[in-house]
Amino acid sequence: MNKLRTALTIYRKEIVDALRDRRTLLTVLVSSVLMGPAVLVAISALVATLESRAELREVYVVGIEHAPSLKNFFERQTYTIKPAPADFEARLRDAKLADPVVVIPKDFEAALLRGDAPIVEVVFDSANQRSQAGAGRIERLLNGFGRERAALTLALRGVSVDLLEPLQVEDRDLASTQTRATQITGMLPYFVMMAVLYGALNAALDTTAGERERGSLEPLLMNPLDRWVLVLGKWAAVASVGMLIAVLSSLSFLPGQWVLRSDTLAAMFQYGLREASMFLVVLLPFAAAVSAVLMAVAIRCKSFKEAQASATVVMLAASLLPLINVFSLGSESPWYLWVPALAQNVLMTHVLKGEPLGAVQIAVPLFVCLALTALGVWFVARTLRSAAVR
Amino acid sequence: MITIEHVAKEFSAPGTAKQKPVGLMRLGRGAAPRIVHAVRDVSFDAPDGRITGLLGPNGAGKTTTLRMLAGLITPDAGRMSVDGIDVVAQTGAALARMGVLSDARGLYPRLTARENIVYYGRLQGMQADAANARAEQLAQMFEMNALLDRRTDGFSQGERMKTALARALVHDPANIVLDEPTNGLDVLATRALRDSLRWLRSPEGGAKCIVFSTHIMQEVERLCDGVVVVSHGRTVASGTVDDLLAQTGETDFEEAFVRLAFSADERAHHEVAGPT
Repeated sequence: MNKLRTALTIYRKEIVDALRDRRTLLTVLVSSVLMGPAVLVAISALVATLESRAELREVYVVGIEHAPSLKNFFERQTYTIKPAPADFEARLRDAKLADPVVVIPKDFEAALLRGDAPIVEVVFDSANQRSQAGAGRIERLLNGFGRERAALTLALRGVSVDLLEPLQVEDRDLASTQTRATQITGMLPYFVMMAVLYGALNAALDTTAGERERGSLEPLLMNPLDRWVLVLGKWAAVASVGMLIAVLSSLSFLPGQWVLRSDTLAAMFQYGLREASMFLVVLLPFAAAVSAVLMAVAIRCKSFKEAQASATVVMLAASLLPLINVFSLGSESPWYLWVPALAQNVLMTHVLKGEPLGAVQIAVPLFVCLALTALGVWFVARTLRSAAVR
Repeated sequence: MITIEHVAKEFSAPGTAKQKPVGLMRLGRGAAPRIVHAVRDVSFDAPDGRITGLLGPNGAGKTTTLRMLAGLITPDAGRMSVDGIDVVAQTGAALARMGVLSDARGLYPRLTARENIVYYGRLQGMQADAANARAEQLAQMFEMNALLDRRTDGFSQGERMKTALARALVHDPANIVLDEPTNGLDVLATRALRDSLRWLRSPEGGAKCIVFSTHIMQEVERLCDGVVVVSHGRTVASGTVDDLLAQTGETDFEEAFVRLAFSADERAHHEVAGPT
């Protein structure tokens, strides 16, 4: 009981200390709470421009005067024909023009009549993503024109149009709307994890390397304390700060949903209290482990600045590991669950897809996080005394 | 009462300890692993109701000795006890009977002086009310009432020192250990500290056992009942100021100290090297 009281005293002091570091705390809080809505707004703005561009039904053409039949087809498809600017190639390269440009040759109509298959170019820049996105739409439109011409020619000669299509191709997409949405919302787990990391970072460094730098660790250890109690109290405080950030940033997506500008995205992005609590199941052990690991790294450093440099390794690992999940393009290996940071990313992606988490999927990362926590706390407790006098 | 018997501590200097003498390098002095004998043989008794000064030049081993006494470093040899409690075997119990103002005296800048003091009181197992009352009592004693509820961030050296001392004494320990307490203090603050220590030594103040280390002669002369001279990690002399003067046949305490702490060679070397 006495030890518990001491641990509580330490915990309370560290929390007060961390909460009084207003500027740092505010920066982390504001960035983590505003981050959810901000990311959603950015994504929805992107989707909305793509959608509105498709709805506009505009086609930029060079040389439409050479192709009255094509002009007629475009107009029947309710497309508005716009003359392309003269320097359209440069504009496409600089991403100033967001639509692909159709280039029609001079002898288009004559070649068409002769059956010479005139070449119509669809000019876009694959580095200019919006123009590339539009290119498929324009190509389908042009193919439609081709099919219509072919059908008319065949019909004139009394041949059935069906001969042209000996087989029918139909897409059947198995992905649910939520699964499709994760192609777009897939980066959200990443942002949440970064918020937790940066939230715990400052407190973890302050209670270890900061304490050494101030010269307050040596007098602290001259109190009749069990070092385990001391380290556990400190760790609990750091982990609490990390968890607070985890809670705030997970909840920030709830109001974030209201600001979605794209109806399609709003329909696909299902994030309610259930998803938020699943995020927390994944994130809270992660916050605990990250706190312990950062403290273990920092206790060896004499100054806050030195500790920040060392912690960069941890931060870098935690930000690069989730990329494995991004680059594997959805095919997961079982070992992902054993890698901290990667496992959390995988599980949160599952939650966003609307898939339930299995017992093993929760248990393995939880076990890894607990082991890391124990290891970190043990290391800090072991190093504390020699760190104080060095 | 604090008793220290023949403690010793050596450190291997990091980096050089792993080097093995190889080939021609064997001739070079730097090739051998460097062992630093911080403390070779220090002994003294510090009785209750007296102020014992640990006097020695820089690097004599004073701070290492006091760190061992505070349980931060385990000695390689020797025994230390506080009121009969062995420091190595029962570090916690010994620390509960000691108030240590160490070489490092960092405060928490985002906490007030009161919070700094009460925190240590709580860590010593005091109730919040008792620790708070004690903080006010100590503030009265060190004339720092006005500081008590300010954050320690902008404190001056003297104000920091007072807070750190109050923090070390919050649990009213019977034994007080101070490592160079007057470092960085101005004349008035030093005088105030001396008065406080004299009061703590007196029966009204609790007849504490006070040990403090210093390299300043005048402090020892003005304050100490007993002097322990430490040099090169060893206790080279102990007694009252008058004892040491008589022992060396000097009238000036500084001369007596230099005779005791430094060998004839060192003294000659300094005299030659000094003016150039």
